Amino acid sequence: MSPPLPLTEKHRPKNFTEIKGQAIAIQEAITFFKTFPMKKALILNGPVGVGKTCIAIALAKEFNLELFELNASDLRNRSKLDEILKPATAQKSLFKKGKLILMDEADGITTSDRGGLPELVALIEKTKHPIIITANDIWQRKFNLLRRKCHLVTLKELKQETISEILNNILRKEGIAINPKTINIIIENSKGDMRAALNDLETVLSLGEEIFIEELSEREKQETIFNALKQVFQEQTNEKTISAYNNINLDLNEILLWIEENIPLEYQGQALAKAYDSLSKADLFKGRIYRQQYWRFLVYQNFFLSAGISAATKLKYKKFTQYKRPSRILKIWLSNQKNAKKKSITIKYAKLTHMSKKKANKESFLFPLIINQRAQDKLDLNEKEKEWLEDKREGMIESNELERFKN
Amino acid sequence: MELLNNQESKKQPDYKTSEIWTEKYRPKKFEELVGQDDIIKKVQNLTKALNIPHLLFAGPAGTGKSTLALIVVKELFGPSWRENYLELNASDERGIDVVRQKVKDFARTKALGNVPFKVIFLDEADALTKEAQQALRRTMENYTTTCRFVMSCNYSSKIIDPIQSRCAIFRFKLLEKKDIEKRVRLIVEKENLQISDQTIEALYEASEGDCRRVINLLQASASISPTITKELVNTLISTAKPADIKIVLEYALSGDFLKSKEKLLDVMLKESIAGTDIIKAIQKEIWNLQIDDELKVRLTEKTGETEFRMTEGSDEFIQLESLLASLVLAGKGLK
Repeated sequence: MSPPLPLTEKHRPKNFTEIKGQAIAIQEAITFFKTFPMKKALILNGPVGVGKTCIAIALAKEFNLELFELNASDLRNRSKLDEILKPATAQKSLFKKGKLILMDEADGITTSDRGGLPELVALIEKTKHPIIITANDIWQRKFNLLRRKCHLVTLKELKQETISEILNNILRKEGIAINPKTINIIIENSKGDMRAALNDLETVLSLGEEIFIEELSEREKQETIFNALKQVFQEQTNEKTISAYNNINLDLNEILLWIEENIPLEYQGQALAKAYDSLSKADLFKGRIYRQQYWRFLVYQNFFLSAGISAATKLKYKKFTQYKRPSRILKIWLSNQKNAKKKSITIKYAKLTHMSKKKANKESFLFPLIINQRAQDKLDLNEKEKEWLEDKREGMIESNELERFKN
Repeated sequence: MELLNNQESKKQPDYKTSEIWTEKYRPKKFEELVGQDDIIKKVQNLTKALNIPHLLFAGPAGTGKSTLALIVVKELFGPSWRENYLELNASDERGIDVVRQKVKDFARTKALGNVPFKVIFLDEADALTKEAQQALRRTMENYTTTCRFVMSCNYSSKIIDPIQSRCAIFRFKLLEKKDIEKRVRLIVEKENLQISDQTIEALYEASEGDCRRVINLLQASASISPTITKELVNTLISTAKPADIKIVLEYALSGDFLKSKEKLLDVMLKESIAGTDIIKAIQKEIWNLQIDDELKVRLTEKTGETEFRMTEGSDEFIQLESLLASLVLAGKGLK
């Protein structure tokens, strides 16, 4: 059985009438197509999840066109471009269909993509097929030339009523009822983004309403920590810096881990070293708090985490950083799961051989070879532990090619 | 599967049937102990009189401290030694309160047999903090009529004076090559192995006088082949070395902080190596790096500061990361 389609795909509108709340944009798209090649390309500019791609797909369906999707890297792919540039007549004889080219998410073309934008502009000049370009922010300066070549349509966020109508339609089709309160939360939370609303609905349906609400609060937390990180890393250090974490629903120790994870994404060289020195000092005070139960040290922990990190460099500039959630704790947990058997064997071994666990751990690299069957019984190892030893033993023999020593 | 096991056991009877050699060949009598002749004589005399003072055994790992303690209690109590003996590990027991409670519970009841006291062996006593040692000193005094302490430590200087002054102190020497060789030859003979002088040399070199490590290496080697060659021993030794530390440092010095950090976490987690052991390795490795001597001095200073902060802070990894960030900076200065 194939996995069920995500709601966003399953309920993608199939024609213009199914696209809600974008009547003007649809009208413009039809006009653009009918008057082609007066303008060779159409830009659908607007926030995420309002139906830009849906309009392109519906246009192709309504006018029986083959949809040809392009992405930024394709622009440098000669054979792919040649395919597009083939005269329409040649195509028609094969497929009996015209083509509609879709360049989705043009914001993805960065200036560092060698020649990505000029290639696109050149393509627009040469094309025999209509092109639709979707973008979130076409008003950036790098798109100046592109904008002039295209017909531009701006799409607005969907209204709450529209989202509500679509959601309820889908629930009816699926034959599911959920708490109207939850629907309202989804709608409010979507901020006009239909895709987000559908993804949230999906979460509710698969994991239940409670977990969804929990996840929402987690999301909010993340948003606020992102803002705090931005303030600390990207704004000049000022009197507000030390209160950067005041409104975050996370304790300082968690924030410490967020900072740790994200310093290398923001700083390099001197600033990196200085920031880590500050982090290390914050950790020092954390340790002193634990050991001496002297909670006033929290002030210093907070200072080094905020102002200390911020002051690591004066060269501040705003840029988009995809901050990462702390991963080390999870890695430690996973590794502990993996090492659990080794640990339990070490404890048993330590007891039998009159050693501390710490010392026994130093010998543990030899366990797979020295804890043989009889020793296993003596240590009273369980099946899982025995299995672990056997696996390790095989691994050791293989990776060190120990077979060569057998005679 | 069953069949395979049988075949294997025919080929290598030792691997399947023998127990752990460090226990099997742990000396059971005073005469069997090697390398600590003076200590053995004195302790033997004390034991014969059926009255031992508190004892403090100081010395490097694998030189026979625990073994001697076990021999003492076996000589004192004979077959009922288990009832009269409590083994505690200071580095494993969380907090002095646990130690005290266990000592109390154990010391409350009278000893069985001829000897009027029981024996508590407190291993790695230098792992206790100064405060814990002070508390322990009181406990020692309170129960001294019913209970004798045998303590072991690596450095006697880490044991507070009041405890030292209550104990007869014995300083164990690092085992010499001839001592180790004697032990190895005995095992080789009993287990029908073949070994060359060179291999024994290699075993000794690798173990730094730690007899336990030697025997473990010997048994591990024997589980592969009854003919133990130097290459086999060296191969096994190399699996223990944190060679990856060098890679961590190289990444940092080449300016790749993220990779260096990732590798460090990997090493620490995979081999479950403590931060304090990592920093020791880093400190040693810095001296071998191909960098300017002045820079080595600066980095070693930073390493020392990091090690200090580790003892004061709460998160060893963060402290190590901070050291790596300095290394990245130092590496930039190189170019």
